[in-house]
Amino acid sequence: MSLLSVRGVTKRFGGIAANRGITFDVAAGELVGIIGPNGAGKSTLFDCISGFYAPDEGEVELDGARLTRLSPDNVCRRGVARTFQKLRPFQGMTVAENVMVGALTRTRDVKHAREQAHEWLRRVGLLEKANAHGRTLSTGQRKRLELARALATQPRLLLLDEVTGGVDQRSIPGLVELVRELHAGGLTLLVIEHNMRVVTAVAQRIVAMHMGELIADGAPDAVARERKVVEAYLGQAYLR
Amino acid sequence: MRTYGGALAFFAAAGLAPLLVGDAFLRDSLVLILIWGSAAGAWNIAGGYAGQISLGHSAFFGLGAYAAALCGVRWNISPWWGLLIGGALASAAGMVIGFLSNRLRGPYFVIATIAVSQVLLLGASRWRGFTAGSEGIPVPFRPGFWSLGIADKRIWVWIVLALALVVYLAQVYLERSRRGLQLAAVREDEDAALSLGVAARRLKVVAIAVSAAFSAVCGALWAQYVGFVDPLYVFSVDLSLRFALAAIIGGLGTALGLGSHLIGLYLILYGIALIVMVRYAPQGLVGWLRGR
Repeated sequence: MSLLSVRGVTKRFGGIAANRGITFDVAAGELVGIIGPNGAGKSTLFDCISGFYAPDEGEVELDGARLTRLSPDNVCRRGVARTFQKLRPFQGMTVAENVMVGALTRTRDVKHAREQAHEWLRRVGLLEKANAHGRTLSTGQRKRLELARALATQPRLLLLDEVTGGVDQRSIPGLVELVRELHAGGLTLLVIEHNMRVVTAVAQRIVAMHMGELIADGAPDAVARERKVVEAYLGQAYLR
Repeated sequence: MRTYGGALAFFAAAGLAPLLVGDAFLRDSLVLILIWGSAAGAWNIAGGYAGQISLGHSAFFGLGAYAAALCGVRWNISPWWGLLIGGALASAAGMVIGFLSNRLRGPYFVIATIAVSQVLLLGASRWRGFTAGSEGIPVPFRPGFWSLGIADKRIWVWIVLALALVVYLAQVYLERSRRGLQLAAVREDEDAALSLGVAARRLKVVAIAVSAAFSAVCGALWAQYVGFVDPLYVFSVDLSLRFALAAIIGGLGTALGLGSHLIGLYLILYGIALIVMVRYAPQGLVGWLRGR
């Protein structure tokens, strides 16, 4: 039984189709990677799943219930959390308050939300920054903050847009380990990732996109060898 | 956790002042400071906490002022009803504006709010049969507490002090509560807030409606105190600007900022103060003091 089901999703901006007939499933407990060159439509697909865009055609379902055309806050309350490629911490609020906003979606009690926020900050290794302001964090710390904030909404499915993008090399193993732990804890994840080494290391399955279309779906090493994928990334000259 | 000692001292001093100070001008100043301060605080609920910068809050203030005045002139009922009617009308108007301009951000929202106050200005100054048009309405003085015909300025100080206290407590609530945190998140980044399950659109509309209702109550009490309602004044952009500037100088999204309202030479002072504040303390006076 699939947790997330994407059925023929098409999203056009004027004459350009950023997503064209995208269809795939994510089973409960699975960790699926999405790869594709810049402009392939990966982030647009996230926006269609999380309610920021209403697709022109197609449906998105979570556990059999339709998500399409729900507002983003509703999608989140149904159990889908996401991070953004361009990081957006609440700059004027403390790190703990950032995470509390996520926790307050599930509890009405501010004190309880504060406790939960601290617990999530401990999990992502950001507890010592709890009282710092969002704007004072490094890129790697911001990624962790976004992760903690999204997790605090207690999602069934977590959409991660570029976990390691823009992060210094030393921070990558820690973030990858964190994603692994979350998955081991039973969370279902859909992860956009540019770093092929990272994505093949964590994902059980990879979905590849190019020019708004889904061009491959399968085991990581099979997808990495797929003719269309190599062509999309490196151009025809590299095909033998 | 922030302490509220400064606010407590301010309200206690304002409450005791009329007993210690006999001078009519100083008492009068105190009443006006408290009314304008409350209006700035009311503005702050939408502009500071929800990030909905409005330059049309005179619309709500004016609705309150007219409601109180018309209660006495047209319907012969207590102006206290005017507070209620004005508050209800303004919050309905705020809800409509908030709902219609939900997708407008930044300058477009500001322009929409100015437009609403100007439409009300035109309405009030042309609808002669009901509002007495651009001549304005003298508010009848009928002695008594129920008819708000109070000559004793001490009583006025305490009435508007109660209003200021309620507006202040509303802001304290926004600093500490679940709704307040969610609203702050919407102000900082609406899309990120949405992605975390915050019902951003509804929260913004409610914030504007509450802010509008408080503004109307300020307007109603002001009309009763001053005794005359002039559409060109109560619906003016100038007045809207005053509310906004007082709140910005006091500190956006900080509860104590409302105490910063001073009278006299205000435009020159505001102009200079605004430049200084934006340059040296963009977080406002209260934020600057807290940072010390």
